[in-house]
Amino acid sequence: MTTAATTPEMDKRPSLLRQVRDALDLVFSSRTAMVGLAIALFWLGVGLLSLFWTPYPPNAQMFSANQPPNAANWMGTDHLGRDIWSRIMAGTQVVLLKTRLSADPPIVIPGGVAIWGVIGAVVVGGLLGVNAGYRGGIADQIIMQILDAFIAFPVIVLYLVIVTSLGRGDLIVIAAITITGSPGVARLVRGLTLDIKTRDYIRAAETRGESKWYIMLREILPNARGPILVDAMLRVGYAIFAIGTLGFLGLGLPPPDPDWGSMVNDARKYIYANPLAVAWPALAIATLVIGVNLFADGLREEIMRYQR
Amino acid sequence: MAKFLVRNLFSMFVTMFLVSLVLFFLLEVAGGDVTVRLLGVFATPEQRESLRRQLGLDAPAWQRYVDWLIGSDWRAQQLSPYPLTMAPNPQTGEQEWWTEVDGVLTRWRMVEGELLAIQRTPDGREVTSPASVPWTTDETGAEVFWGVDTRNNLVKWVRGSDLEVLVLSKAGVRSERGGPQQYIPLRKGIVRGDAGMSLQTNRPVSATIFSRAANSLILAAAAFVLVMPLALFFGVLAGVNEGKPLDRIISITGLGFTATPEFVVGVFLILIFGIWLRWLPATAVFLTGDAIFRDPKILVLPVLTLMAAEFGYVARITRASMVEVMQSPYIRTAFIKGLPRRRIIFRHALRNALMAPITVVMLQINWLIGGVIVVEVLFGIPGLGSYIYDAAIFGDFNAVAAAAMLTVLIAVMTRLIGDMLYTYLNPRIRFA
Repeated sequence: MTTAATTPEMDKRPSLLRQVRDALDLVFSSRTAMVGLAIALFWLGVGLLSLFWTPYPPNAQMFSANQPPNAANWMGTDHLGRDIWSRIMAGTQVVLLKTRLSADPPIVIPGGVAIWGVIGAVVVGGLLGVNAGYRGGIADQIIMQILDAFIAFPVIVLYLVIVTSLGRGDLIVIAAITITGSPGVARLVRGLTLDIKTRDYIRAAETRGESKWYIMLREILPNARGPILVDAMLRVGYAIFAIGTLGFLGLGLPPPDPDWGSMVNDARKYIYANPLAVAWPALAIATLVIGVNLFADGLREEIMRYQR
Repeated sequence: MAKFLVRNLFSMFVTMFLVSLVLFFLLEVAGGDVTVRLLGVFATPEQRESLRRQLGLDAPAWQRYVDWLIGSDWRAQQLSPYPLTMAPNPQTGEQEWWTEVDGVLTRWRMVEGELLAIQRTPDGREVTSPASVPWTTDETGAEVFWGVDTRNNLVKWVRGSDLEVLVLSKAGVRSERGGPQQYIPLRKGIVRGDAGMSLQTNRPVSATIFSRAANSLILAAAAFVLVMPLALFFGVLAGVNEGKPLDRIISITGLGFTATPEFVVGVFLILIFGIWLRWLPATAVFLTGDAIFRDPKILVLPVLTLMAAEFGYVARITRASMVEVMQSPYIRTAFIKGLPRRRIIFRHALRNALMAPITVVMLQINWLIGGVIVVEVLFGIPGLGSYIYDAAIFGDFNAVAAAAMLTVLIAVMTRLIGDMLYTYLNPRIRFA
């Protein structure tokens, strides 16, 4: 890459505010990313709102079952007489906002299943990839060969196998997203590492006598963060996609908290009695996934444009 | 080319071996739960323990892995005094394990402490008589005999043993006293085409899995054949109009379809065509094995769903490839020469632009398989996808393992073919 003369201003890292503004500029310059961000933020807002207020309690069976949309229930009611809009609002929580570590006693940590799953995939995949890329040789071959075995699985088959063996629960779904996602991340990070490791500052760090882990964690990974972050954004989309699919297959996040995929799965059994009940949660999943994807895609296009 | 093929084949074998390890040890974690599934939640620990032994789950994990992979008949043959053999069941046609005692197919059964021999006569009948078998004395002084039972196990019978065995039969759990002590489920192993018995149906996995896979293949192939021309056409159209509204519309539609989970698309198709318009059946009911051919209407919605999932992906690659080619120097040269645009696109650009998508699509087979699973579950098509799904729900690890191995094998083979096709079509790689 270009080598610039070191001036006093360049020694200082740009302030946090500046970094955020740069990132926002990037988003604003792409209409695709803007639309995606708007959709994603809409659902995030709905989720945050649902933490404090929903029209009715999402699990209360307080109406007659399978009602079409009406004044009291904007989207109608489901097969157990629960308000669908309230459930859809609360359904964002398990995906984006909270993870239930255990049901009894209830322990909840912030950050949804999709978020934690992607964080897991990025951490595991990142560590594997940077080790494979930087160490090279036999370590590289072993790591990549094992990851190839995981990549060879169709993702849903791997999900089915994991759920067969581990059972159901928020943590299991997080583990499943981590296991299925990390090989892809590792491949990406390995490629980036192979490129970065030829740079002069890595030579310099090696000459200084820094340890391998220092070089991998402090020199290589921070310099690879751009593509990793965009990839992670895309993966959030995949993760929501996967959680929806797992829920639809009846293997997803456990009750009682509403989960969109499971709502589709339940409602499709009553599709003749109440066709719209199946449409709402399906629409919710589709819009959220498309929103996140548009955002990540637009962002990637913008970054690629600068790199070209 | 030969070197390339050998290297890829070798890599494929290593991958499949690792896949089998991953698969086995992932499923291994589940081991104990299946007894609860089979016996119900009210089963006593003794019943579950007994069933575990009958399923051969008391053997160490590595032993079961080897059995699963290359079969247990090798090791069983060493224990059995008579040669083991397989013969088809006259009713079902499925292969069963027997021993050959003086040329007669024989199995044994324990009834009230007495060992009975079941002999298959040449005309297919079975004759039961009290057995006279060569009991041997083992190191503890007990009289033992290894023989094949009626459930395809090699069993160690001990004369006068008072160990209680709880046998799961159609009528419930039956207690049997005195006799069977150790079970080795007989199987030829997955590499020899025998994946063991399905715990759910008590039939050999390999007897069902291939007809299921054929249904899936028809579904996937139909979707693939129909979507490819469509997606290639729209991809090229978007690519030559890069940045224009037409490109935007095609790209966003494609992204929308790809990003939408298959079940969502399927659900909306069912709502529109199955419920509101009532044009097409909302589920696929398979009354006969060849239902697909008798009533192709049941395939329309599943195929449409799969097409929607694939369309965006193929169109996107085609577009990117077309854009790249249109920006390349030789196309610019053609424009500068003053050739008509239509001719440049069809004569010069298209061939190079289509090479990437046609082969890259084969690398994305995993995506398609995932879609097939969801679509089969949604529409109730008895294919490989719904088979592995049902098995996973039940915890039937034999069936899950076999079906997963089959899907991975299909995926890996397809990718190998895709790789080879790409190398063959692209001289730059072939001679690099």
